[in-house]
Amino acid sequence: MSRRSAAQIALSLGVLALGAGAAAGTAMLPSEGGYAGIGPNFVPGVVAVGLLLLGAWLAYEAFSGGWRTAPPDDARERGEHPFDAAAFGWVSAGLFAHMALIGPGGFVAAGTALFACIARGFGSRRIARDVAIGVVLSLGVFLFFVKLLNVGLPAGWLAPLFGGAGI
Amino acid sequence: MEALEALLLGFGVALKPINLLWGFIGVTLGTLIGVLPGVGPALTVAMLLPLTVKLDPTGALIMFAGIYYGAMFGGSTTTILLNTPGESASIATALEGNRMAKAGRAGPALATSAIGSFVAGTIATVLLTLLAPLVVDFALKFGPAEYFSLMVFAFITVSAVLGASTVRGLTSLFLGLFLGLVGIDSQTGQARFAFGVPELLDGVDVVVLAVGLFAVGEALYVAAYQSRLSETVERLSGSILMSAEDWKRSWPAWLRASAIGFPFGTIPAGGAEIPTFLSYAVEKKLTKHPEEFGKGAIEGVAGPEAANNAAATGVLVPLLTLGIPTSATAAILLGAFQNYGLQPGPLLFQSQSELVWGLIASLYVGNIILLVLNLPLIGIWVKVLQIPRDLLYAGILVFATLGAYSLHQSWVDLLMLYVFGLLGFAMRRWDIPVGPAVIGLILGPLAETQFRRALSISQGDPRVFFEHPISATFLAITAALIVLPWIVRRFRRT
Repeated sequence: MSRRSAAQIALSLGVLALGAGAAAGTAMLPSEGGYAGIGPNFVPGVVAVGLLLLGAWLAYEAFSGGWRTAPPDDARERGEHPFDAAAFGWVSAGLFAHMALIGPGGFVAAGTALFACIARGFGSRRIARDVAIGVVLSLGVFLFFVKLLNVGLPAGWLAPLFGGAGI
Repeated sequence: MEALEALLLGFGVALKPINLLWGFIGVTLGTLIGVLPGVGPALTVAMLLPLTVKLDPTGALIMFAGIYYGAMFGGSTTTILLNTPGESASIATALEGNRMAKAGRAGPALATSAIGSFVAGTIATVLLTLLAPLVVDFALKFGPAEYFSLMVFAFITVSAVLGASTVRGLTSLFLGLFLGLVGIDSQTGQARFAFGVPELLDGVDVVVLAVGLFAVGEALYVAAYQSRLSETVERLSGSILMSAEDWKRSWPAWLRASAIGFPFGTIPAGGAEIPTFLSYAVEKKLTKHPEEFGKGAIEGVAGPEAANNAAATGVLVPLLTLGIPTSATAAILLGAFQNYGLQPGPLLFQSQSELVWGLIASLYVGNIILLVLNLPLIGIWVKVLQIPRDLLYAGILVFATLGAYSLHQSWVDLLMLYVFGLLGFAMRRWDIPVGPAVIGLILGPLAETQFRRALSISQGDPRVFFEHPISATFLAITAALIVLPWIVRRFRRT
């Protein structure tokens, strides 16, 4: 087997940490349970113990030759290219821009920013085209949901145009 | 013949023009979204859930039946023309389907998959109609202890028994169970793991989890590892009609696959993956043209596709009659029921008989719509496949975020969506199955409720789970499923 995978160890520790967190949270829950004899803390306790055991099991596998039947670490063996941090970053940036814009700017502004960033992450260099398609798509979706389906979406900066449509 | 009467009543509901329209819209949208590469049926259903919030429950669920079938068929189109199976159940189709497309026989491959889906879907729906009342009668005997044990059985089969790794399957399940605990405890009103965040008191919504894991996780993964690879969409040239020879070779495969797929769908065995491979193996063994396998044998498409659809219908049996989802897609469908305050199960057949049978009747109708819609429109679905990938994923994420945001109009849901996206990325990269997490999220709280109810009735005596014969049987089968593989492995080694 190959050398120890730092990522597998990190993920195993992550599961252990989640289990520990769940156990700490469980300790703060009341245990009185009426006729059943178990309270709202019983199942959380079981899940916490389960996560701790599974985290330990994963860590054991990670330290003893790696997770069993895991995909190879070398991207080329998986038929893929090595991790592209910029692409990953653009997709993430798009989602955060969307999160930040949807309140003040509204659905169309947020959707356009998201669209352009994701397209950039997937290798597009035609920003003007991406923004244009993003505006048309999000505006279409906005009108479809607000006018036809009666589902409220924030109009944001476009609110004056729609005279109070959306929320 | 009670079932027949109920079904006729159901057709009365399903054939109302407005419900027919919802079914039609559902099939079209389901196919349109399902055809997008990287979008499987589970994600299609999750993304289209917000469309229905303002509909009446019957119309919405009929639309969802259409989406479910449409997404299935859309996925196989993508698999055949692009060789990127959107889900594990499509891998078997890809083996021969894509080879047929490469050999210029994309048309007959798509046709046998569409007609096979129709045949198998209809057979499976007939079986569902006959079987459901029997299961309901049986399930009416269930108390909380029986339900709990059955859910434990479902948990173990979907996470530990199937899949590449028991420990990773169980980790995914427990992740889902943990997320299911977040929010207000339904029995005592106690807030759990909400950390004082008001948005978390409502719990983690299945749409946010599913869309985060499937859509955001997929986008992050493909951007990071595959965005610089090129891919080829096979051309759809020549006739889409099947020759007499194609028909002769396809129909026995459809029938055999229906017989394989449906039973596998009804038991909690993780959906359609096993029956599709089983059907592929059977066709490979029985064929008169073994030399064609690996080069594009039509039986190798007809069988797995039909098995996939039969299993997809079979999955609805435990979902509708017991309220137990056995695939990620079924878990999201259960979430759709819960949005309307409906809990599928034997009681729903009695209290909402019109809705349930309307839904079942609309499965027949949906199958027909699928057939008449898809073959003529195949050219459009092929065009959808040719959307460049940068625009495609950008568009998918606009819809994905829309679904998550429209739940509470809160950016907190969008942050959760991103966190689940990171999780989905890691799970995809290290081959941790996501299905058990989605099933755990939706089924976990139901299992806890049944567990505590059973203990309330028995005054806290845990023996209740072993003393009720049906409950004990479920637990015994579960234990056997865990222990047997170990014993078999031990024997092989010595």
